[in-house]
Amino acid sequence: MATIIVGYFKRLGEDLRRDWQLYLLMLPMLLWFLLFLYKPMEGLQIAFKDFSPFRGIAGSPWVGLENFRTLLDDQIFIRAFLNTITISGLGLVFAFPLPIVLAIMFNELQSELGRRFSQTIVYLPHFISVVIVAGIVINLLSPTTGVVNLILSSLALDRVYFLTQPEWFRTVFIGSNIWKEAGFESIVYLAAIAGISPTLYESARVDGASRWQMMWRITLPCILPTIIIMLIIRIGNLVEVGFEYIILLYQPATYRTADVVSTYVYRTGLQGTQYDLATAAGLFNAVIAFALVFAANRISRKVSTTSLW
Amino acid sequence: MSAVELNDVVKRYGALEVVHSVNLNVEQGEFVVLVGPSGCGKSTTLRMVAGLEEISGGTVSIGGRLVNRVAPKDRDVAMVFQNYALYPHLNVAENIAFGLRVRREKKDFIDAAVKEAAAILDLTPYLARKPADLSGGQRQRVAMGRAIVRKPQVFLFDEPLSNLDAKLRTQMRAEIKRLHKRMGVTSIYVTHDQIEAMTLADRIVVMNGGRVEQVGTPMELFLKPANAFVASFLGSPPMNLLRATVVSMDGEPKARIDAAGAETAILRLPKTSGTSLRADQRILVGLRPEHVAVGMDASADVQEIAATVDLLEPLGSEALLHTRISGQPIVAKIETPADVETLLQIGRLQIPVGRLHVFDAESGRAVNGHA
Repeated sequence: MATIIVGYFKRLGEDLRRDWQLYLLMLPMLLWFLLFLYKPMEGLQIAFKDFSPFRGIAGSPWVGLENFRTLLDDQIFIRAFLNTITISGLGLVFAFPLPIVLAIMFNELQSELGRRFSQTIVYLPHFISVVIVAGIVINLLSPTTGVVNLILSSLALDRVYFLTQPEWFRTVFIGSNIWKEAGFESIVYLAAIAGISPTLYESARVDGASRWQMMWRITLPCILPTIIIMLIIRIGNLVEVGFEYIILLYQPATYRTADVVSTYVYRTGLQGTQYDLATAAGLFNAVIAFALVFAANRISRKVSTTSLW
Repeated sequence: MSAVELNDVVKRYGALEVVHSVNLNVEQGEFVVLVGPSGCGKSTTLRMVAGLEEISGGTVSIGGRLVNRVAPKDRDVAMVFQNYALYPHLNVAENIAFGLRVRREKKDFIDAAVKEAAAILDLTPYLARKPADLSGGQRQRVAMGRAIVRKPQVFLFDEPLSNLDAKLRTQMRAEIKRLHKRMGVTSIYVTHDQIEAMTLADRIVVMNGGRVEQVGTPMELFLKPANAFVASFLGSPPMNLLRATVVSMDGEPKARIDAAGAETAILRLPKTSGTSLRADQRILVGLRPEHVAVGMDASADVQEIAATVDLLEPLGSEALLHTRISGQPIVAKIETPADVETLLQIGRLQIPVGRLHVFDAESGRAVNGHA
């Protein structure tokens, strides 16, 4: 064992001497990682302490898993956690396939001008700030002046208070997210499609394949590794729902379906100053996310031989 | 009836014409090779036959049927591509079966066809492997399997051996020839490799700058090139071309080699060329490296000419002797003597007059074939 370790450091020393310029180039990134990603992990110990800002991290007493117990006994946290999973799960079902469909549709467009035009149109919403998107959504769905309700009333239907009814929140949230991000997310798949050798299609054309057959038998299988990688990343984010957009759209009336872990952490930690509980909630989320990514990666490697690592 | 007929076929990209009025008749069961340098339009011509490129002008007929507006799938052709075009997610059997699957053939028929093709191409042990697990030669055989399984009227090969190393290329060349002999399917084969063209073809079509320079059997093209381009393109090393000026036409035509800063020399030309030459005509005198001799006695048919040796390249049983006549380079391919170094000392080359080719320097056209 000792020989292996000594051998390792010897080789490392030789590498450092030989390629010191490359290691020097790597240094800023390494420092950034250490300072901004690893150093803050020190704060994670708050999750295991009865933290008081006055006593500081070191001065606060250890409480073991007490904060986690409190969290798991808290119905609001459980609700937030289940909401997170539900919103992400629905996103996975509805929002994940759409960029793939869009990319395939763009690829099938014959007119170069038409393709550029439609791509620009669907990419644009990504560059709009979430605050503005939330403003647009609130205005569109306004019960008095919103276009949607104007249409409903012109059809002699009842006006709907979309943003105050919990049963509508997820639809509005996921729908507007799809509108904002699906186009931009399709870029990854378009890039993957661009990497498919055109001779595969030419060969298929000579062999007698229709466009539909080419899409199913060539395009989709060839971009499958990219789809799997994106799926693994998405599964890793299953317990992460961006809280800015939720905070902009939700209100106490919709907490039942809208409150997620990140908004819970925000309210408990920053507004309620229960830093230890908020940190425990964040850590709980991170551990679950890690387990999900790990499991998805393992399954993917077994099933499709494609994996993140 | 020709299996494939091209009449005045033209390809334009916007205002740019890349294939100019190509005419070609490929007979049933014939193996025709389109050969030429990169960018000469040979692949574009093949792709027009396949239906992968639109035809800007002229007509293409396959089996007597005009196919200008017929989709590739309905032309009854199969194509083998340079980069194999194998589907990476399918195994060998599925790749071979692809064309039949998309045509919704019956499963039993597909299985039997795949088995038969795999047996012909020695692919039976690899049927379950993915293309990534195969060698270059095996991949190319799978690509051919996919073509033969469809039993098309015409095989189209687009530089199928270009991605293989020299040894494998020689092996695969022989396999393609055997396959053609066995199946007898009309084949059009594109390559830039003149050795492939010479060894595989029943007839060769030499193309340059989007035009057909000459069509003929390999030996016709080798022995009677229609112009300086064909002469220099076929043969390895290529034909030597000496710039010269006609000085005498009567009786025994002669030319003065243009001296590039060196002493000029007079070269006797084949008698058959005399009637077609005119005084002071600028010509190119062609001589194949294997026809240049060293240590032969001069006679009525062999003339001796002073040469300086630049470089010697021993190839084993043969050697390439790079020399200069009147300052112009000339390569001789000769049998390697026991003491190869003596070749560096020679001061004269022997040139058989009857083996000389004469081309007009301006048009490049042959003034005569050799006698």
